[in-house]
Amino acid sequence: MIHFSQINKHYGQFHVLRDIDLHIKSGEVVVVIGPSGSGKSTLLRCINRLETVTDGELVVNDTKVNDKSTDINKLRRNIGMVFQHFNLYPHMTVLDNITLAPMKVNGMSNSEATEIAMHYLTKVGIPDKAKSFPSQLSGGQQQRVAIARGLAMKPQIMLFDEPTSALDPEMVGEVLDVMKSLAKEGMTMVCVTHEMGFAREVADRIVFMDQGQILEEGIPSEFFNNPQEERARQFLSRLNH
Amino acid sequence: MIDFTILTTYQDEYLKGFMTTIEASLLGLVGSFIIGVIIAVFRISSVRPLRWFGTAYVEFLRNIPLLITVFVFYHGLPVLHINLSGFASGTLGLAVYTSAFIAEAIRAGINAVPKGQMEAGRSSGLTYIQTMRYVILPQAIKVVIPPLGNQFINLVKNSSILGVVAGLDLMYFGDTINSETFDVFSTYIFVGLFYLVLTIPLSLFVGYLERRLARAY
Repeated sequence: MIHFSQINKHYGQFHVLRDIDLHIKSGEVVVVIGPSGSGKSTLLRCINRLETVTDGELVVNDTKVNDKSTDINKLRRNIGMVFQHFNLYPHMTVLDNITLAPMKVNGMSNSEATEIAMHYLTKVGIPDKAKSFPSQLSGGQQQRVAIARGLAMKPQIMLFDEPTSALDPEMVGEVLDVMKSLAKEGMTMVCVTHEMGFAREVADRIVFMDQGQILEEGIPSEFFNNPQEERARQFLSRLNH
Repeated sequence: MIDFTILTTYQDEYLKGFMTTIEASLLGLVGSFIIGVIIAVFRISSVRPLRWFGTAYVEFLRNIPLLITVFVFYHGLPVLHINLSGFASGTLGLAVYTSAFIAEAIRAGINAVPKGQMEAGRSSGLTYIQTMRYVILPQAIKVVIPPLGNQFINLVKNSSILGVVAGLDLMYFGDTINSETFDVFSTYIFVGLFYLVLTIPLSLFVGYLERRLARAY
């Protein structure tokens, strides 16, 4: 479903992504981990072209992402994204945040979009907040709204860019729970996170990155119990309390 | 000290000038806003030549005196055999001059909206224009209203430039009244009061908008 082939990206002199080869199947949950500045977020943001690549080929849903003829808006409809800082629209109610794209992109009627929005708000556990503004919600609630907003477009892929990094520790759980249930339902997910517990429990595959390269890939039990690369061992040992 | 009979004797002139000043201000306001929005869009465009044009436009206009800009339209265009009335060239010069400041205010407002907002909109499949329309501009407006209000107040006051190019505005009639009464102080006190009649309500309205927007969310 997502195919990186020999992807490279430079920011001026800085080589952010080096020879990335990564293939993600439909329904797979891939968790990308690694130290800060290793290119995890950049990798994720290439998938919906929030970042462009310097060379290589990236195919998502049988569409070449960086092709000139690609209708990027059409591709993005199928890819939901959740950001570290939620990026909810502060001037709109929770409900309007969720219905905007279904109405303006898919041409849904207000009542239809509202029904879908309420369905997903219920799913993330806060249907009572529909009429609130984002500023009236806790961080965890805001992030759950952001997930509902992404889901309302009924995407085939969900991208999570450090979704719990900006949250108070006590709110991390509620967001991870929503992500876990999503994973169980078979959503294709790519998550950049520092939550190793989540990665171990939910991921089908772990991708470990350092200095723009994928150093190691594997199923969680193997990766966490028996990492092959020295750099991965180092990284894990620093995390292990 | 102030000769109030001037106000009654020359009430027709004052009123005529007052109406022309309102007209010039309204036209200038609409014109400068439209040009300002276009230039602001150029300034944030990803197309380089548009950005250069926008930057050149703003830097050029806001760094030369208003009087020169108006003279270009009043004395410069006739060289090209385009003859505009004092009112038309004055108002046009005023709109063009003010648009540079408005463009800057709008650009600053758009830039004040966090980058993540554009990313959230675009990643949900909204086009650039849709994201601007529904996500960015409604937030930018809040930042833009106070400086925009100041520019519009300045515009009303700056419309007095029409007096220099026979634009038949308040200032122009002030000059003609003065040349008959030789009572500089009284004549222009009344001229000033007429400007206040326009600018004070405008200023109060901007303050009201600011307060309303502040508690919007």
